[in-house]
Amino acid sequence: MMDRRSFLKAGLGGTLLLGTVSLGAGLSGCDAQPAGERPDLASSDGAGYRFGFLTDADIVMFQALVPAVIAPALTQKERLPAVTAQTIRDIDAGILRFSTATRKEIRQLFDLLTFGPSRLAMTRIWSWENASQADTAAFLERWRTSRFGLFNKGYIAITKLTNVAFYGNAANFALSGYPGPPPWATAALPQFQTETL
Amino acid sequence: MALADPIAAGIASGWNVTDAATLSGHTDLEADVVVIGTGAGGGTTAEILSGRGLKVIMVEEGRLYHQKDFNMDELKSYSNLYQEGMSRATKDGAIAVLQGRCVGGSTTVNWTSSFRTPDETLNYWSEQFGLEQLKPESMKFWFDNRMERHSMAPWQMPPNANNDVLRQGCDKLGWSWGVIPRNVKGCWNLGYCGVGCPTNAKQGALLTTVPGALENGAQLIHGLRADRLQWREDRIESLQASAFKADGYTPSGASVTLRAKHFVVAASAIGSPGLLLRSELPDPHERLGKRSFIHPVNATIARMPERVDPYYGAPQSIYSDQFNFANGVDGAVGFKMEVPPLHPAMAAGVLPGHGEQQATDMANLPRLQSVLALLRDGFHPDSPGGTVELREDGSPVLDYPMTDYLWNGVREAYLAMAELQFAAGAEAVKLAHMDARWHQSWKDTREEINRLPMALHKVRLFTAHQMGGCGMGSDPRTSVVDGNGLHHQIRNLSVHDASAFPTSIGANPQLSVYALSARQSTRLAEKLTA
Repeated sequence: MMDRRSFLKAGLGGTLLLGTVSLGAGLSGCDAQPAGERPDLASSDGAGYRFGFLTDADIVMFQALVPAVIAPALTQKERLPAVTAQTIRDIDAGILRFSTATRKEIRQLFDLLTFGPSRLAMTRIWSWENASQADTAAFLERWRTSRFGLFNKGYIAITKLTNVAFYGNAANFALSGYPGPPPWATAALPQFQTETL
Repeated sequence: MALADPIAAGIASGWNVTDAATLSGHTDLEADVVVIGTGAGGGTTAEILSGRGLKVIMVEEGRLYHQKDFNMDELKSYSNLYQEGMSRATKDGAIAVLQGRCVGGSTTVNWTSSFRTPDETLNYWSEQFGLEQLKPESMKFWFDNRMERHSMAPWQMPPNANNDVLRQGCDKLGWSWGVIPRNVKGCWNLGYCGVGCPTNAKQGALLTTVPGALENGAQLIHGLRADRLQWREDRIESLQASAFKADGYTPSGASVTLRAKHFVVAASAIGSPGLLLRSELPDPHERLGKRSFIHPVNATIARMPERVDPYYGAPQSIYSDQFNFANGVDGAVGFKMEVPPLHPAMAAGVLPGHGEQQATDMANLPRLQSVLALLRDGFHPDSPGGTVELREDGSPVLDYPMTDYLWNGVREAYLAMAELQFAAGAEAVKLAHMDARWHQSWKDTREEINRLPMALHKVRLFTAHQMGGCGMGSDPRTSVVDGNGLHHQIRNLSVHDASAFPTSIGANPQLSVYALSARQSTRLAEKLTA
């Protein structure tokens, strides 16, 4: 783990990179396209999903980030791969409703986090593919406690996208002790009745 | 009422409702008045003008969602019913902006709190902005009138446990509190106001004024974005608008030109200045988009010894004005204290974290309680507000600088809220602040509050109340519209929403918007039918 002084230096370098990395990534053409269909991340109920925002590189990153954010909340650890895939799909679906300007800003952040030189300078993660949960959590902690508002902002973006997608999903309600909408109400309201033909 | 969907019934009965996703090519339309936006301001305007026999077309960027769509599901609702899929924020990303984007606007997703504009605020407007016609004695009629229209009354049931903490804390400390009037009829006390009322109890624009206007023969076009007002000399000639596909956010390529004698803009305090800026309307004194206010909100979280179930029950029923006008109307910033509901996604968004700490905090959700403070911005030279500007793609964004004056208020509010939660029996309290920790005593929490940096991206800041940007005033040099909502430079243009407020309100603004819009619309109807 680096000391604060070297982190601050890396942080400043990273900040300077922010403006150029998107351009660099764009010019080199790496992973500019949304991932589209990813059968390996499909839900078990067979419903298809097409990624409309996240690239293959983003998905590799979130396969490391999502467990670092939410794995300790899971009581059944064997659910982690399926929950991670579901959360990544929900993150993608959520981002698609953001404004063009916000999507552009998120694109910049994700490019920065997936583009080799900037990723290394800012996150100390050698590769998302091989990053341990502890390494990823340490990176998140550094961004959370950073004195630089830009990194706090990046931390909030990553954890908010992940937490909202995870805790907002009915399959995970029990983990927050939220019983869901009251059954007596859903039993009485017409919009919850499955139509009988 | 809850089992019959009045919107579905109205459409079946032949209301003139157009889903812009069904349009193709170019469409020309004409009316006496085009109303842009269907929230608190637009709905009221459309109902009153159509009630006077004027042909009205309502234009709404969001889609028409109603009971069949209101499934108490946070993720779907945030994506569909809120601006930018609930990701809207101020320009630097430091303040989350909660704002509706659907027929009924924010009144479809608000927490139903219904306050009159405080007398102090109206008197300040009169003294500072030459708005004598809006003094409390003149506005009383309109508040009474709109309270009746929207079935507003102090909440009759006991507060939920979340709100009761605010009441108990105030009682213990000798602070004032009151019961919040709500705009509901036959409310089931479920707690899902923020994701679209599932029982048709909430009497927002969606179930009152918009149906009223449609019954009067008005037309509603939803999924249609107002792009630009075409003008010549001192008159608007037409509105250029473009349609979205049925997903609500992909442009379809279809366009609409709407011509009218008069245009009323009620597209919110971000949308209205945005439209006027895009239209490059005359703005000789550079007032457009300026003095934008948001009631900056900060919050504290308490862990209570018993279950709170902060997701159930009327979300807001108790308030405290102990510190709202304590320093006078224009002294150190005042704040109103209320309670937010905490559903899991909302709770996780308010306090982002990761790993063990986040898992533990979220697992305690049934025992969590939260208090929030609405800072009353815009009443002091050190609170000049933000600026709505246009991004490269023409979309509006609010640049809102936090000043030291406001940061002092944030700190004072943290202190009051944490003290209150401990007084009400909290086991531990944590600030909605990135560097905060749980503390089990008021003393430790107070020390932390005095020590922590009050800084952007550290303090979790929110706004659900956007106001100003097309401010009212008698002097064209310092305002965009006059005291009747008429644009100072363009004769057939009015602004009837919260963007016309010259300051923030000092209370949840929906009733202020309804009342002001009712007053302005009644005058406008007289003018247009004379």
